[in-house]
Parts: sequence; C-alpha cells; structure tokens
Amino acid sequence: MPKAREYSLWIETPPGDVNLIHELLVGVWENSPEVPIEERFRFETALIELASNVIRHATSSNGVSCVLRVLSTQGYLQAELRDTADPGDVQLDGRVMPDGMAESGRGIPVIQSLVDELEYSQDDGHNLWRITRRFTS
Amino acid sequence: MDITTRTVGHDVAVVTVVGKLNIVSSASLRQVVASAVAAGRLRIVVDLNAVDFIDSSGLGAMISGLKTARNAGGDLKITGAGDQVKLVLQLTNMERVLVSADSVDLAYADA
Repeated sequence: MPKAREYSLWIETPPGDVNLIHELLVGVWENSPEVPIEERFRFETALIELASNVIRHATSSNGVSCVLRVLSTQGYLQAELRDTADPGDVQLDGRVMPDGMAESGRGIPVIQSLVDELEYSQDDGHNLWRITRRFTS
Repeated sequence: MDITTRTVGHDVAVVTVVGKLNIVSSASLRQVVASAVAAGRLRIVVDLNAVDFIDSSGLGAMISGLKTARNAGGDLKITGAGDQVKLVLQLTNMERVLVSADSVDLAYADA
C-alpha cells in the first residue's frame, strides 16, 4: 500500500502565483505514480481554481499569504489552503455554472464538479479552504 | 507560457499557446487576440496542442476573444485540445461555445 505523503508550500502573493503550486504538484505526482491521470487532472484543476480565487482577492497594497498543505494517500487526495485574504462573502451553496458566454464566475462551480468535498471556514482570522477527492486506483 | 501568432491568408490569425493557460497567463491571450482582431485578422484559431493545463481564467480569456472576434464580424475556434483541456470544456459545458477544429488548416477550410 502506498504510504501517505504530505507536502506544504508557503506563498506570498504578489509576487508568488499559482505556478508555484503547479511546480509542487510535479513532485506530488512523481511520488504518487498510483494516482490515475484523470484524478491528477481533477485535483490539480480544482486546486489551481481554488488558489486563483484566493489570489484574485489580493490587492497591490495588501498582499495575501497562503499556506498550502497537500496530502496524498491511497485513493485519497486532499489540499488545505489557509490564507489571509479578506473573507468577503463566500457562498458555496447553490452555485451553478454560468452562461456559456460569461467570462468569469466558473471557479467555484468547477471546483465543486471536480472534487468530492469543498469546505470553507474561518479560523483564527484566516480563511481555511479544504478540497478532498476520493478515487479507486 | 508562450504565445505566438502567425497570419494565414489575409484574415486568419493562428494563436499558438505553449504551457499553462491559467490566471497568470490568461491576460496575455486576451491581449493577443484583441490585437489580432484590431489588425483586421478577424478569424482566430487558438492552437492548444502544447497547452497541458487550462482553468476557468483561461476559458474566460478565450470567451473574451470569441466575443471580440464576433463583434468585429469574425470568429474564434480552437484546435488541439488535450485531455485536461477537454475535461474542463466538458465540465463547463463549453464544448459547443468554443468550437473545436480537427486542425489549424481545417478551422476555416469551409469559409
């Protein structure tokens, strides 16, 4: 049975961006060859959408710090993102894919269609996001 | 990510994207397509053969390009979508909005 592996990354944005997460995931997939390719696509897409959503709320005068933790174990991928962005009005329930000609608004619905769980909470002044994907390999 | 543009015929712009089409790079694609349309190349083909990742910001850039081209009397098609790109197009119901051609050469072969 593959052993559980945990990875972490600290991002200060700007100047940090989601390409740092793509680079982290290269290592995750190298160490987890049992994860099917479609599951890699699903998890990476969901995680980049999530991080992009957080970074989008950074302003030039007030950046955002993020701590990312990724857990890979048999049949299970999870990412937890703790950030300092303004909480704003986070609505996860009832989100639907926007009209085909819309240029934005797909992030949260895309995440929800890719993973089994998308959770949001506030913890000690930080936003805490968690995505979980379960699969059979 | 790299973006290059070449002109085919008198009004087709082939926009070749290499790398990841995400929040970091999508603004460049918007600008490149807008510039091509402004220069009179109203029919756009976005070649995605070398794109290994796209997210909703990349989709948004292509929708922006599609609107820009159509508003000028042109169009935007895509070609070369890989498995991850196809997954995202399918999940977002964009397969009918962003029309896929079998190749760059065939994108406007019937026009």
